[in-house]
Amino acid sequence: MTRCRLIAFALTAAIPGRTDAQLPAVAVERRLAQELSLQVGDTVRLGTAPDSMRTLATVAAVYEPRPDPAEITKDERHVRLHLPDLAAMLGAPDRVDRFGIALVPGTSVDSAVAALQQNAFGYQVYASSAIAAQSSQTFLVVSRFHRAIAIITIVASAVFLLCIMLLKVEERRMDAAVMRFVGVRRRTIFGALLLEAALVAVVGSIAGTGLALIAGAATNAYYRRFFDTALTFSRITPDIVLFSVALSLALGLAAGAAAAWRLVHTRPMVLWGRG
Amino acid sequence: MTGITWGFKSLARQPLRTALSLAGIAVAAAMLLDMVMLSGGIDKSFSDLLLRRGFQMRLTPKGTLPFDTEATMAGASGIVAALRRDPAVAAAGAVLGTSLYGRTGDSLVTLFGYGIEPEAQSLYQLTAGLDLTPADTGGVLLSEPAARLLGASVGDTVTLVGRLDPQVVTAAVGRSLVVRGMVRWIYDYRGQPSVGTVLPVMQRLARQATDRASLILVKAGDDAAVPALADRVRRQFPQVEVNSVADLVAHFRERLVYFRQLSYILGSMSLVVTVLLIATLLTITVNERLGEIATLRAIGVSRATVVGQVFAEGTALTVVGAALGILLGLVTARRLDAILTSFPGLPAAFSFFVPRADTLTFAALVLLGTGALAGLYPAWLASRAPIAATLRAEAT
Amino acid sequence: MTAPPLLALELRKDYPMNGETVHALRGVSLRVDRGDYVAIAGPSGSGKSTLLQLLGGIDTPSAGTVEILGTRLDTLSDGELTRLRLTRLGFIFQRFHLLPVLTARENVELPMAEAGVRRGERHARARELLDYVGLGHRTGHRATQLSGGEMQRVAIARALANRPAVLLADEPTGELDAATGQGILALFQRLNADGTTLVVVTHDDRLAAEAGRVVHMLDGVIRD
Repeated sequence: MTRCRLIAFALTAAIPGRTDAQLPAVAVERRLAQELSLQVGDTVRLGTAPDSMRTLATVAAVYEPRPDPAEITKDERHVRLHLPDLAAMLGAPDRVDRFGIALVPGTSVDSAVAALQQNAFGYQVYASSAIAAQSSQTFLVVSRFHRAIAIITIVASAVFLLCIMLLKVEERRMDAAVMRFVGVRRRTIFGALLLEAALVAVVGSIAGTGLALIAGAATNAYYRRFFDTALTFSRITPDIVLFSVALSLALGLAAGAAAAWRLVHTRPMVLWGRG
Repeated sequence: MTGITWGFKSLARQPLRTALSLAGIAVAAAMLLDMVMLSGGIDKSFSDLLLRRGFQMRLTPKGTLPFDTEATMAGASGIVAALRRDPAVAAAGAVLGTSLYGRTGDSLVTLFGYGIEPEAQSLYQLTAGLDLTPADTGGVLLSEPAARLLGASVGDTVTLVGRLDPQVVTAAVGRSLVVRGMVRWIYDYRGQPSVGTVLPVMQRLARQATDRASLILVKAGDDAAVPALADRVRRQFPQVEVNSVADLVAHFRERLVYFRQLSYILGSMSLVVTVLLIATLLTITVNERLGEIATLRAIGVSRATVVGQVFAEGTALTVVGAALGILLGLVTARRLDAILTSFPGLPAAFSFFVPRADTLTFAALVLLGTGALAGLYPAWLASRAPIAATLRAEAT
Repeated sequence: MTAPPLLALELRKDYPMNGETVHALRGVSLRVDRGDYVAIAGPSGSGKSTLLQLLGGIDTPSAGTVEILGTRLDTLSDGELTRLRLTRLGFIFQRFHLLPVLTARENVELPMAEAGVRRGERHARARELLDYVGLGHRTGHRATQLSGGEMQRVAIARALANRPAVLLADEPTGELDAATGQGILALFQRLNADGTTLVVVTHDDRLAAEAGRVVHMLDGVIRD
């Protein structure tokens, strides 16, 4: 038997329950069906321990579970049974882990939660949104981590950009000195250098956006294949593009302006190498 | 005067440029160091956690990892007894993990319970009071969060309940226990309210039948005997999952594969940035100093010396930048570790970024190699500087 | 009979510029004997500097040969040529070309370090040379802290470091004022009097007048 953990969800009576003449029905997730070469109609043996595989069941369906980022790194496979069949198999009739409650439209979730909690003994009542918030804590941590990495990357890029701009502008110091000697104003030289920096920033931003789109597509393709899932791992939205382009333009212009300012405020004779 | 001294002097000639370059290299180096720490830190930290008390193997229900599910193993005492008879086994103990409740006044608080065999456990460290003895069926150990929830301290009596019956609104099983000691549970996440009793007590409190356990810990007398022991146990008990520390680390690594891959990608990007920065700086520097280089060649300085000087400058940049970067990396690693260790459910003792001598050395060596590589193109440029043409151009 | 320090035969040098060929030298022959003080004079573009560069082996002729102490330069590899420049020739440039990050002493020591001279010996010789050129009190100053004349003196000291057979100077007073230039001329006189063979490219009439022999160039040929 392949090594997989059996976790069963009980469906609520969408599929007819067992009669004495019929085996219990089981729905198998796609990956498990592929790994065990299962098809609808096949008979499988189920159990809660490797040495107690006593329950026979018929594969009634193969389903694709909704992609859940919390589950993709776990090597788990799921099946679904009717609640009575699972309870019987577990030897625990009339026991469940949870109830799902749908409220009549217009009912306040908070007041329903409070009312149920007041009478609760041995169970807790949660709004679905609270569970969602709790279970997404993991991804909030990942988001914070990504943000920290992004900040470090931006700082590194800014330093790198400033350094390169400084080098490139300084390469032109002799030209700048000659221009100053012949009477060209600081403003003109500054503007020319700033324009150059702006062009570089624009071209760089466009190229960077293209690279990001390619990298994002590659990331999704790789991890979807790696985890065998339909989840989206990298999503580049117009807001993200706008922010990134704006930031790179701003950094590029700032770096260019700083380097140009330094150049035009250096005495021409110093630029010439005689100061 | 050595080439490296010449390199340092050349860098000092343009302090702003050098400072910016060093800043860029330092940030890239810090990122590289952090990613190297991350790629190896997960394994190291988890492995250290598992081996803290020297138990090299864990047995769990088939197909599960320790405390991953509520599944339990039947016949735990028989398995433990058989293990203890194995000459390679120095100690073995069963553990049951379960949810239960503590009574505080009229209300109940949710707790996590460990049923342990005190003579063979690796789950906690005593911080105050006394440990449980194997026969102590009246005692309980509390974590700090549990003690706060229950409002109890060493010597107090607490009531633990299990198997709540909502229909009759009573607890089917309850027990009053005396707090013997305060402990730090090694695998607890931050703030987890955990309590511990001897195994039979917890088995009765839990919804489990007797003689079931979530986990069996095994300590081998000799590390080298662990693989053979694991194979033996697997054959003897096919209904359980047998994992050595290496197996568990591998599983854990799979769970956190994303971070490992991210560390490789970001680490590689850091190296690319370092190469680009140093190569660009040196190339521009060489272009600016072509006249100087042509003069050196004219007065008889060999290509090798000129190339060596370029490499020396690159090396000087890399050495200083790497040193700064390592310091910066240690600081940023603490910040990043603080973010990642706030994952819910992660043991509080776990770290993602683990600074080790071999890690730091590896990062430094990679950086030095990268700096050398970055100097190749500018060094080639310098060696190819045409003397006469350059001197003619300088004269105009 | 020992070979002369410098012997050039029928040197030609052509190089492309903007799609045309510039004939910088059109068959120049020159012999410099030991102890000579030769000035190569002529207007700009006459080929003076090109000739000096060919004599010093830092450029290769399109035709013709150069011999230094009997060794033909066209028979040497790049490494051998470099070594020959290091040990047999001394170069002085119009713009000094000192290394700005080094002190005066370190600049003078540079060729000796390259030649493998031990540190103590380098230090001593550098001091001796700087004293000789009148800069014994400025050995610890960086090149950027020296005046034009002082830098040129350091350059002369550097050129003398490995006891060259010939000193080649390209417009050594070109960047200097008259008074400072006069100082350099006096130093050259002293060097020649002490036995140094000098070949100096110049359009400075005073310097040309001080030389033992003047070679006039025009349009790539010698006009004497």
